Amino acid sequence: MKGGAAACSRPLPRGLCGLGVPAVCQELFKGWGLIRKEDRHLSLLELTWAVAGAVILTKSCQTASIATANASAQGRSHVDAQVQTEAPVPVSVQPLSRYDVPRLAAFLRRVEAMVIRELNKNWQSHAFDGFEVNWTEQQQMVSCLYTLGYPPAQAQGLHVTGISWNSTGSVVACAYGRLDHGDWSTLKSFVCAWNLDRRGLSPRQPSAVVEVPSAVLCLAFHPTQPSHVAGGLYSGEVLVWDLSRPEDPLLWRTGLTDDTHTDPVSQVVWLPEPGHSHRFQVLSVATDGKVLLWRGVGAGQLRLTEGFALVMQQLPRSTKLKKHSRGETEVGATAVAFSSFDPRLFILGTEGGFPLKCSLAAGEAALTRMPSSVPLRAPAQFTFSPHGGPVYSVSCSPFHRNLFLSAGTDGHVHLYSMLQAPPLTSLQLSLKYLFAVRWSPVRPLVFAAASGEGDVLLFDLQKSSQKPTVLIKQTQDESPVYCLEFNSQQTQLLAAGDAQGTVKVWQLSTEFVEQGPREAEDLDRLAAEVAT
Amino acid sequence: MEIGEIQSHKGVIGTMVVNAEGIPIRTTLDNSTTVQYAGLLHHLTMKAKSTVRDIDPQNDLTFLRIRSKKHEIMVAPDKEYLLIVIQNPCE
Repeated sequence: MKGGAAACSRPLPRGLCGLGVPAVCQELFKGWGLIRKEDRHLSLLELTWAVAGAVILTKSCQTASIATANASAQGRSHVDAQVQTEAPVPVSVQPLSRYDVPRLAAFLRRVEAMVIRELNKNWQSHAFDGFEVNWTEQQQMVSCLYTLGYPPAQAQGLHVTGISWNSTGSVVACAYGRLDHGDWSTLKSFVCAWNLDRRGLSPRQPSAVVEVPSAVLCLAFHPTQPSHVAGGLYSGEVLVWDLSRPEDPLLWRTGLTDDTHTDPVSQVVWLPEPGHSHRFQVLSVATDGKVLLWRGVGAGQLRLTEGFALVMQQLPRSTKLKKHSRGETEVGATAVAFSSFDPRLFILGTEGGFPLKCSLAAGEAALTRMPSSVPLRAPAQFTFSPHGGPVYSVSCSPFHRNLFLSAGTDGHVHLYSMLQAPPLTSLQLSLKYLFAVRWSPVRPLVFAAASGEGDVLLFDLQKSSQKPTVLIKQTQDESPVYCLEFNSQQTQLLAAGDAQGTVKVWQLSTEFVEQGPREAEDLDRLAAEVAT
Repeated sequence: MEIGEIQSHKGVIGTMVVNAEGIPIRTTLDNSTTVQYAGLLHHLTMKAKSTVRDIDPQNDLTFLRIRSKKHEIMVAPDKEYLLIVIQNPCE
């Protein structure tokens, strides 16, 4: 706001500025006489107004201009989402209402002294030392229950290459083929099954026989279907038969496609499908280095769903391995065993003698030029110290998540822990090859091995950690025993197949069937001996 | 609670308190094991109690011990509750 300077008829004498208005008026009247006559008509008010106006000082002020700026804001786009939890599992432990707590406390006070007294007595008691109760009839010796064979196969000089018990534990099936060198690519062979629970069992006449155009090298019964059995052939094919249909047993086959193995199949295993626990897939491993997962689709065709390939350059360098010549990049897989604790973890035995820890969930692509309809991945995560020769059999402990056994052509059985590369113990069981090793399904410290000298060796780590507890002579002429399997339903039975084409079903003594008092702890202690 | 003192005793694997209907109220084990022990031992304790009283109506059950190959189960019964302790005695 601008204030105006009032006009003044004549400049004020200097001395008047500092005086107040009354003094100004006095001076004005003094100066009345000085005003010209013609100006005297001006009223006093006008004059004082004119004078008072002159006291005004000129000041101006102005606020600073308001700073403005333009900015825009907008709400973010939003998406509707719904979340729903599943109904919680009902809590089975009932929360105690506040009212009852004093009664509970009183009860505990009442019984506490008595219980602690009994706990102490128990801890020091020797009353039950050496006291054992026998509920079942004691079997002191190992005896041979059945000697089974198929004469036409034995006449051709075929060996029993694979053996399997079915899901009910009453049927044992064996695969015939040959495991030694020779031109057996056009050999016809058989898969035979005997039902041990059937009355009138004839050892020379199997309850089911399937003729197969090529040698069968491995066999595995379906985990829930009592009559389905999968087999791996010398030609690299994988076949699944239904033994309850004698006229046309073949259910599924892989056929000879680009996906099929190019080498004989070493082992087949049934795996539950992820997400559908009642449907199963077949996993096959072969010496061409591929681990393939098959599913039965449509009209009898096994289709490849997932595949893995072992390549030398992609193996984890946890141990020093022999350098191979440039040409050999594939690592042949000879045996497979899945962990009972982690369904995607498996151990592979290789021709190089080193077991590999692998996972179905591995994602890295395999550097291989082998054709395949499904991308092949590299499964190996850890390499263990090698045997002196190829590994023929691996078995994961059903009682401890880290322990597994491997047996190979050097006649040694190695007990590995998955936590370290060198084995925990190494036992020499045979001067020749070892063809199979299996953990017992009921006793955590017992395993069985099949040797090239015709023996089935039973090892009880609780009794002795150096030599086998029981040595069963299966063949009289020292021809090798190629395969063995424990029966998980009837736990006293052990079946073993040999080079003479016979399957012998052994009944084990009771000590191999019943768990000892502290066996699980002893196994944990054994596994804990991991070198730091 | 005194249950902690019992639980920390030598060799004790698990402790639980069950009410008169066989429903677990306090436990140191996982749910499924607890429910199994509670249901089975409640029945067995009632049977043992009726056995003792049938033989002599003036008598009554004070303590129940089941010794198995792997461990020993001790049951302290009462009108309203049951205290179950599982101990692994030193062999």
